[in-house]
Amino acid sequence: MSTETVNTNLQDAQLRAGIDRSLRHPVMFFLVSGAAWLVVSIVLGIISSAKMHAPEFMDGCSWFTYGRTQAAHLNALIYGWGFQAAFGVIIWIMSRLSRQECKAAGIILTAGHVWNLGVMAGVIGIIAGYGTGMPWMEFPSFAWPVLLLSYFAIITWSMVQFKVRPEGHVYISQWYLLAAMIWFPWVFLTANLLLHVFPGHPVMANGINAWYKSSLIFLFFTPVALSAAFYLTPKVTGRPIYSYSLARLGFWSLAIIMPWAGMQKLAGAPIPFFMPYLGAAATILFFVPAIAAVFNILRTASADMEIVNNSPSLRFTMAGVFGLLVMAVAAVFLNLPGSTLKLTQFSLSGYGFEILAIYAFFSFVMFGAIYFIVPRVTRREWISRRLIKMHFFFSIYGIITVAIVAIFGGWMQGIGQEKFYQPWESAALRAYPYVWAMTITWCFILFSNLFFFLHLIFMWMGLGRRSIHPTLLISAHGHSPHGEEGDIDNAGTVSAH
Amino acid sequence: MSFRTFFLSLSASFGVAWLAMVIVPYFKMRTIEPVAMGEDATGTNAVYIPKRAGRIADGSQVYAANGCYLCHTQLIRPDYAGNDVYRTDFAGYVNKEEGIDTRRETNAFDYPSEKFAHIGINRVGPDLSNLAVRIEANYAKDISPEQWLYRYLYNPRHQPARSHSNCPSFRFLFDEKKVTGNPSDTALPFHGENGEEIVPNPDGRALVSYLLSLKKDNPVPVVFDFKPAAEPSAKPAAKTPAP
Repeated sequence: MSTETVNTNLQDAQLRAGIDRSLRHPVMFFLVSGAAWLVVSIVLGIISSAKMHAPEFMDGCSWFTYGRTQAAHLNALIYGWGFQAAFGVIIWIMSRLSRQECKAAGIILTAGHVWNLGVMAGVIGIIAGYGTGMPWMEFPSFAWPVLLLSYFAIITWSMVQFKVRPEGHVYISQWYLLAAMIWFPWVFLTANLLLHVFPGHPVMANGINAWYKSSLIFLFFTPVALSAAFYLTPKVTGRPIYSYSLARLGFWSLAIIMPWAGMQKLAGAPIPFFMPYLGAAATILFFVPAIAAVFNILRTASADMEIVNNSPSLRFTMAGVFGLLVMAVAAVFLNLPGSTLKLTQFSLSGYGFEILAIYAFFSFVMFGAIYFIVPRVTRREWISRRLIKMHFFFSIYGIITVAIVAIFGGWMQGIGQEKFYQPWESAALRAYPYVWAMTITWCFILFSNLFFFLHLIFMWMGLGRRSIHPTLLISAHGHSPHGEEGDIDNAGTVSAH
Repeated sequence: MSFRTFFLSLSASFGVAWLAMVIVPYFKMRTIEPVAMGEDATGTNAVYIPKRAGRIADGSQVYAANGCYLCHTQLIRPDYAGNDVYRTDFAGYVNKEEGIDTRRETNAFDYPSEKFAHIGINRVGPDLSNLAVRIEANYAKDISPEQWLYRYLYNPRHQPARSHSNCPSFRFLFDEKKVTGNPSDTALPFHGENGEEIVPNPDGRALVSYLLSLKKDNPVPVVFDFKPAAEPSAKPAAKTPAP
């Protein structure tokens, strides 16, 4: 190795360490408060799910009536956990790939607090009975400008970093991040202005809301998660992406198809006839960008299955990519206009699909990214392999059940609804066993995320292992190339602060 | 690809859909053309003006804030999109002996005085497009429709036939008040612990007023007046009470 290479490597390592140090506080703030909101959301989800089969549970109390807890559950999941996990991952990946230290950590951190206050006021607003009644936009109308402004204060710096990056290659991850960063404010501002400021036709307002939900899934959560997956997979396996042209195909098909999706939820409503069916077609075509990405990522990772199995980041990421595969199949299966759309339009499947997108795909990839990022920004390794495994398995079992139950149960419910010659009760009863199963599995997911939250808190407090060996998911006995778990060696000389 | 090209391509691919699916339809639908009723026997051709009485805006707000739309829909889909019109208690009122059939699908004039149509996302409970029609025709036999709804909202499971309903109780829309003089008209038929009467609060009254405006039995223009000519199944549409 020549002296020059050694010097470049050293400079590189110093640059990376500098970037990580500059982002330590905002990233950890977003991840920890996101994980706390995730726990809050799951608790609210359990309460509302329990009320579906045991309506006497906490009954008659206005703050915990089903209609409010369920709305609060989803909004806490989306704006509390989803967005904050995304912020943490966006600002870190963008800094790393643009090779720029973050110069606005203070502003980002402040804006992050404002975002949290906005979400908290919004969730309390819903619970206290000031919800707007528009799905995913239930926060009282004061909340959206607060969220939008803090969004800009958080994200603008990543845009700037991209703009002033050293000349050279633009990574796939950066395409997806840039696109998500542009799409989200466009979608959010459109929906909120149209629904809160320029009142229009009530049915069309509902259509905008359906489009907003769909756009948030396909044009924000999906690209952010794909960006993280396209970053982590080559990084951890040490191999380049399998095919760049396939990645380009996946990206542009997502960009061209997905803005049309969403209005299929209004099939049969008095809006122009083409809109719901174009929406259904676009949602079905989600299969194309999804499969392009899934195939590409799996081909990249499959070169080294041992690493996939051992690395917590990659194991979670791969689980998320499988979640994307299931989500893509569900997008086709649930939206066929001639057969299934009418069955699933007003059933549990809608919720099932949302949970599949936000938890089984997006959140799993985010967990993968968090297991990668946190040791780098805190300069400590994860404390316990067992905690990570608990998080993984309880989440996996839980989410598989929730998804199957919600989608299949919703389908059954729809079949009952279509049998118009039978009493309505028979349709309502069909969903009953599925909602029971859903409560139990949300409990599993709560259990798993309590471990995750605690683990993350310990890391935040600087209690992570001082080691240069990452915490892997393999037994300490035998042939581990990284020594025993709990190995404390020379990393101890590096100060954490 | 430069950032500029990237940004322009991205804006173009998104912008086309944004204009075609969101902006243009939204602003075109802000002013929809009035529809003529179609000539009647006397040869007059009036314009259809949808009417709705009650505290719609307030009640709609209470409906929204308490998440009713999470379990109930307000949409009767045409038969190409579902079998809603064949459910007699959803789509209207059918009385074959008297030759009455008010069933029809939802049209764009069906949500007057509301900012947001509560079309809903799930049918855990029945569709509410014609809730008032079925309360008046089928449920409220000896009591007023308002009183029937007040009792239902206070405890959805109080009738033996509805003991399995998973509708939440809305006891928080009622106040306990000391009786001074005659009891209130709206009081429920039972009392609080110390003999107070239980009466709906303003939110409760607004909600009930709104729910009782949910009926689609007024005459509509010929173009909207869908009546299922022949039902797709040989089985008669049995009239059944909804939970």
